Amino acid sequence: MAKKKWRGFFWILPSFSGVAAFYLLPYADVVRRSFLGAVDNRFAGISNYQAIMGNTAFRLAVRNTIKFTLSCIPVLILLALACAVALCRSKYGGVIKSAFLMPMALPAVSVALVWRLLFHSQGLLNYWLEHLGLAGQDWMNGKSAFWILVLSYIWKNLGYDIVLWMAGLAGISENIYEAAKVDGAGEWKCFLHITLPNLKPSFYTITVLSFLNSFKVFREAYLVAGDYPHESIYMMQHLFNNWFRNFSFDKMAAAAVVESVVLLGLILLLQKTWDSGAE
Amino acid sequence: MKYGKLKRTAGILLSAVLLLGSLAGCSGKENVEPGASPQGNGNSTEGEGGEQAMGRFLEDDVKLPIVFSDIFDMRKLEDGTIRVIGNNGDDGSKTVWDSKDSGVNWEKAFDIPAELEDGENGYVDGAALSPNGQSVWLYNKVADGGVRCVLYLLDQNGSLAEVPFELPAAEGKNITSSSQPVNTSEDSGDGAEGDGSISSISNLVTDIMFLGNDQILVVDMTDKVFQISTEDGSTKRTYEFGATQEACQFYTAGKKMVVATSTEALVYDTETGEQMPTEEALQGSVADSGFFNAVDSTDDGESIYYLTGKGLFHYKFGGSVMEQLIDGSMNSLGAPAFYPIALAMLDEQNLLVAANDENAEAAGGVSLLKYTWSADTPAKPDKELKVYSLYNNRELRQAISNFQKDHTDIYVNYQAAMSEDNGMTVSDALKTLTTEIMAGKGPDLLVLDGMPIQNYMEKGILKDISAVLADGEGKYFENIIKAYQGDGGQAYAVPARFLIPMAQGSSANYTPGEDFDTFTSKQGVLSGMIPEATVEKFWYSCGAAWQKEDGTLDAGKITDWLTKLKNAYGEYDRLQEESSTTYGISDGGGAFTQFQELSLSWGDFDLAFGRYRVNVGLSGRIDYGQLSAVNEKLEQGDYGLMPGQAGNVFVPSMVLGISSKAAQPETAEEFVKYLLSPEAQKAAQFGGLPVERDSFLSVIDGHEYEGKDNWVSGGSAGANADERLSYKMEPTPKEEIEKMTAMAESLTVPALLDDVIKDAVIEQGTKVLKGEAAPEEAADAIMQKVNIYLAE
Repeated sequence: MAKKKWRGFFWILPSFSGVAAFYLLPYADVVRRSFLGAVDNRFAGISNYQAIMGNTAFRLAVRNTIKFTLSCIPVLILLALACAVALCRSKYGGVIKSAFLMPMALPAVSVALVWRLLFHSQGLLNYWLEHLGLAGQDWMNGKSAFWILVLSYIWKNLGYDIVLWMAGLAGISENIYEAAKVDGAGEWKCFLHITLPNLKPSFYTITVLSFLNSFKVFREAYLVAGDYPHESIYMMQHLFNNWFRNFSFDKMAAAAVVESVVLLGLILLLQKTWDSGAE
Repeated sequence: MKYGKLKRTAGILLSAVLLLGSLAGCSGKENVEPGASPQGNGNSTEGEGGEQAMGRFLEDDVKLPIVFSDIFDMRKLEDGTIRVIGNNGDDGSKTVWDSKDSGVNWEKAFDIPAELEDGENGYVDGAALSPNGQSVWLYNKVADGGVRCVLYLLDQNGSLAEVPFELPAAEGKNITSSSQPVNTSEDSGDGAEGDGSISSISNLVTDIMFLGNDQILVVDMTDKVFQISTEDGSTKRTYEFGATQEACQFYTAGKKMVVATSTEALVYDTETGEQMPTEEALQGSVADSGFFNAVDSTDDGESIYYLTGKGLFHYKFGGSVMEQLIDGSMNSLGAPAFYPIALAMLDEQNLLVAANDENAEAAGGVSLLKYTWSADTPAKPDKELKVYSLYNNRELRQAISNFQKDHTDIYVNYQAAMSEDNGMTVSDALKTLTTEIMAGKGPDLLVLDGMPIQNYMEKGILKDISAVLADGEGKYFENIIKAYQGDGGQAYAVPARFLIPMAQGSSANYTPGEDFDTFTSKQGVLSGMIPEATVEKFWYSCGAAWQKEDGTLDAGKITDWLTKLKNAYGEYDRLQEESSTTYGISDGGGAFTQFQELSLSWGDFDLAFGRYRVNVGLSGRIDYGQLSAVNEKLEQGDYGLMPGQAGNVFVPSMVLGISSKAAQPETAEEFVKYLLSPEAQKAAQFGGLPVERDSFLSVIDGHEYEGKDNWVSGGSAGANADERLSYKMEPTPKEEIEKMTAMAESLTVPALLDDVIKDAVIEQGTKVLKGEAAPEEAADAIMQKVNIYLAE
């Protein structure tokens, strides 16, 4: 019996070694560094954690990141679901689905260039507005920068989420719908009582993936506005990036630990919600 | 089952082969060091770290018999004599000298005939030597409102004969010149000045060289090459390169003509006139090492030796290997102000290089260097000192070159992170630097210009180098060199140079010593200037005043600054901006140092000819002649410190810091000492004034013009070719030296050097000057960005 138990361990050993070498050990080192000085490696206790909590740049980045996540993810998930349901019913769904995936294939640099071209104070958008007799503005250096970032994130990730939703929709048996229709259920009732409950497993995966993808929007923000963008789009990654450049490894490690704990907590919470729903 | 075993065995064998193959690939990689073997003479010894390649060319100065203001050519003749032809720097005469013992002793070969010394009717514009000692001289005769190029042949003993060659008019080219004197430069000091004017030039010879002993190649201004006989001046062949996009340089090796651009080298057989097949190795080397500076051959053209900024190379025609014999980064050949004129290969292990060297100790700036193969010297020095800067630093390159000459056991590996080629940003470069330092592979010495100096000091990245300064107590401008010194006397960063924010203008517009408020109350006093550059210049003179005690910036002062600057700038006029000479130079990418675009001297013509009311800028090299010429032109003009909110500000430059994780801290300290020594400090390349007092005086006093009354300088403005500013180059008057020294001594406040704040200020400040944003709005935008940065 014991031999059988160990056999399982040997099966996971290769991938566990990879995870340990490339994730667990570096993470342990980050945790260690969060209690040390930046360059001299002297023990600093919890002073790094105190420093980041009192750091206004950190607080701004956390605030913006939360605001961005809360603004984007619900909109993205609902929009993607609506599109997925519509596409499932359309005979051109397959082709249109591919079109939605195109933004994912575009390199971040190209997207950033288009952004600049469009939203620069002397860019195309202002040019068009001027022709319509409207006043333009410096889009990337005002509060509008945040909504441009939200729009960009949704545009880029919509196709991916649609594909995930469509996979979920494909997994729902047609027999259930037919049975419901025989019982007199309409489209809306079918959606509410059959489609949505059956999409719960997909919902968990899509939420986690959308959440993780939201961190990638930094690339576009960085390429368009550099290290110090307008304060509304100053995200956690900007802060980490600048701290790294300035040798602030102490603060960076402490912030990384805090962020990973929060993320892990959120994911576990989501999983628990899903598990309880499944029961 | 049988096949299963076979598959398994084959799999194991293939895996073993792959493993062994990869291991073999990891070892035994042999790097051929430059100079490791000139024609197979190198050897190797067993050192502590394994086998070490031995053998390197070492550099020595050769004393020239007279002060040359220019050398036209130098050659090893068929009988072994080294012959040099050039201009005598003392009297401007043409002269020919010989050495029978590889440059140890020299004797004058003969006096040049009077025809070539006739400065009244023209001037000598070049000369070349043949292998048997003849020389051909290009004399530009000024007559009938034009220039006629005459070729004179001097035989081995100095007898003169004119080569009957008439240069045809260049097709589609005709230069119409203004009525300016012919001679306005030190090079053509033949006295043709005042002899009338040149109205039209149909063609000019730009280069001449011998092809064997009986033919000459003449290159005209359209890059057309005439292969002519010295005997009767007949043209044997012509070659046309006018259609080439890049500038061509022409050299001969035996009977071959080598045409080089910065990217390719074409070889022609001059006996048939045919282009020879492309030499792959030669092309590859040219693409990698750039323009040829000088070429020579020892085997009648079977192979060539050539110099580039990267060193000395040898190539045998038809071969597949290009051999680098000398690495230019380890001696003068790679120095930025070193321009080789001629190369003479004495044999495979000895060579002479004549060069114009702006920082040569020799008067006249022409130096002769000998390179000798030393079999006992390691091909690459054991000690490697890594030096890093964000921007290319010409003074540093010059110093490295001189330092390595005296320290043959040290290899200074200099890396300038940002260049036009790699497109790297400051932020990217700093992140790479952070990674390298933390991985223990970082530089030993950092040139901190453009880096967050205060942050590096606080984080413990830099080592205290106050001990290095202790030796030079009193030798330096203490107010400058202690800019970053802490209360405890620790010095983690030391500026080796500095720039002075200066202003110049007529008394109606500018009074030296006036404060920022008074200056900017004169509406439009800065009109016509480039907005970005104007904001940056005043950022240096004012930024330090905005910092509060807690390190944050005072928003009120920034708003006040922008409002006053806008008042002084007036309405933005793009056409007015673009008509300035300063705009023309900066648009043409004329700057080759970090601060040169902000240089005071760039605005001289605009000030002198009324396009600017006041000229402001940073001075890293004070040219008194030009300053005084502008003052005279302005009538009641004067210069002084640039008005600023901070007052008495200087801009630290070439700020040195040794990494606390340096692998060679002692060598780094030794190099810092050298950089602060008079030898390194006197090298001035626009990057800043020396902090060492004697060197400062030497840079500003114009001692090089002593006794050179005939040296005249001039220039023409880009906006209008008729605008000229001519002045005599002469030693700076004593009272002016005292004024400049007092100005340097009065500087007390180091300018705020923070690229993040500076970039935010320039971006928003430019909008204000262009009328695209209100001062309050711009100040808010600056504060928004800067607050995040400072909070980090």
